[in-house]
Amino acid sequence: MRVSDIVQPLGAEVLAAGSTFEHAEITGVVVSDLMSDVLVVEDTDFVLVSSLASEQVIRTADIVGAIAVVLVNGKTPPYNMRALAESLDQTFLRTSHTSFHTCRILAELLYPNSEATA
Amino acid sequence: MKRQNVIPLSTDEAPPIIVELVYQMKIKDVMTTEVVTAAKHDTLRSVQQLMRARSISGVPIVEGRRLVGIVSVDDVLTALDNGYIDDEIQDHMSRNVIVLEEDMPLSFAIQYYEKYSYGRFPVLGRNRMLSGIITSRDIIVALLIRLDREFEKLERQLGKRPLELHGTLRQQFATRRYDFEHAGRASTEIKKILKERSVDTKTVRRATVAAYELEMNQVLHSLGGTISLQLSAAAITIQADDIGPGINDVDDALQEGYSTATEWIRSLGFGAGMGLPNARRVADEFRIHSSSQGTHAMATIYLQEGHGEGIGTGSAS
Repeated sequence: MRVSDIVQPLGAEVLAAGSTFEHAEITGVVVSDLMSDVLVVEDTDFVLVSSLASEQVIRTADIVGAIAVVLVNGKTPPYNMRALAESLDQTFLRTSHTSFHTCRILAELLYPNSEATA
Repeated sequence: MKRQNVIPLSTDEAPPIIVELVYQMKIKDVMTTEVVTAAKHDTLRSVQQLMRARSISGVPIVEGRRLVGIVSVDDVLTALDNGYIDDEIQDHMSRNVIVLEEDMPLSFAIQYYEKYSYGRFPVLGRNRMLSGIITSRDIIVALLIRLDREFEKLERQLGKRPLELHGTLRQQFATRRYDFEHAGRASTEIKKILKERSVDTKTVRRATVAAYELEMNQVLHSLGGTISLQLSAAAITIQADDIGPGINDVDDALQEGYSTATEWIRSLGFGAGMGLPNARRVADEFRIHSSSQGTHAMATIYLQEGHGEGIGTGSAS
């Protein structure tokens, strides 16, 4: 699953398309509004789902090597957040879905045959 | 008596950058060109009114643009004292005016303040006509602006060039309390430097996580400090030094979930009490020392195999 595959299901707006947009393979999802918690995650190649509209989300995503940031709840990011995503080559999406729905959609895409999401 | 107008700056012994500036800058770059003047047939009272209206303390007297004298606030006070305030200026003005020339370096003006006790000096242009006036305030303002620009230039150069000596690269970044706009910038730069030096992705991540946690700690909890990167063939060291107020109980702060963060810090996505434990977790070696003078933390990540691998077991000292 690639970032370009999740844009439409999430009804997402692409605020910044980094070099991960077309080709990076997403293998997991981390959802948190607490960047301290994201920094202890050891996975790689995940999408970071957050309702926190702050530059620090982009910095954290960059440091842990997240493939994309998805800002939920239809929040409008501050201008600097978008600018930072562009300068750090970080893919940055925005959706009007809640965290829960965003995760549900991502789970269905990631595990299409799983009973848990049926 | 204390001389009021002396500019306490040695034009010979000041730091080279200041000496260079005061010789480089010309009087004409600094002086005020809109000069309030009076004519010699005006009365001293009109000068007094002019001084009050324009908040100035000296008025050059001119014929056309030719300087013929000067009246200072002292002259006006003396005139009031002695009852000749309604006399014509030409009867009482100082005729031996000490002047500067607009093409002289600024150092001349500073030396004149050392030599003479005047508060201002009229400035003459090439044709010996009055072209401006200079006060110690003009000099201080112009110097501050130029110094500000020079420091910015220096800081930009410092920021760009990591210092590399005997195979060890060193780079330092400043952090300021509650400066969220720039918080994380040091870590982002560190990541860039490590990637440029072809350090492997996993190690880069560990080092930047340590740097970011320590950097956010400084921004959130300290009065400000520095984050330093040291990169040698053997190891990456991230050092965080702040100027206080110190951590009350370092052992508590190293417990996961222990936090002194306020609600608004949490609303920014930080303050879960994971910072120091996480910095220690990703490091092969972790040292921290704290007093009211400041906190000093050092996270080391080895680059050579066999010298400690994977996630390290840090220790507090």
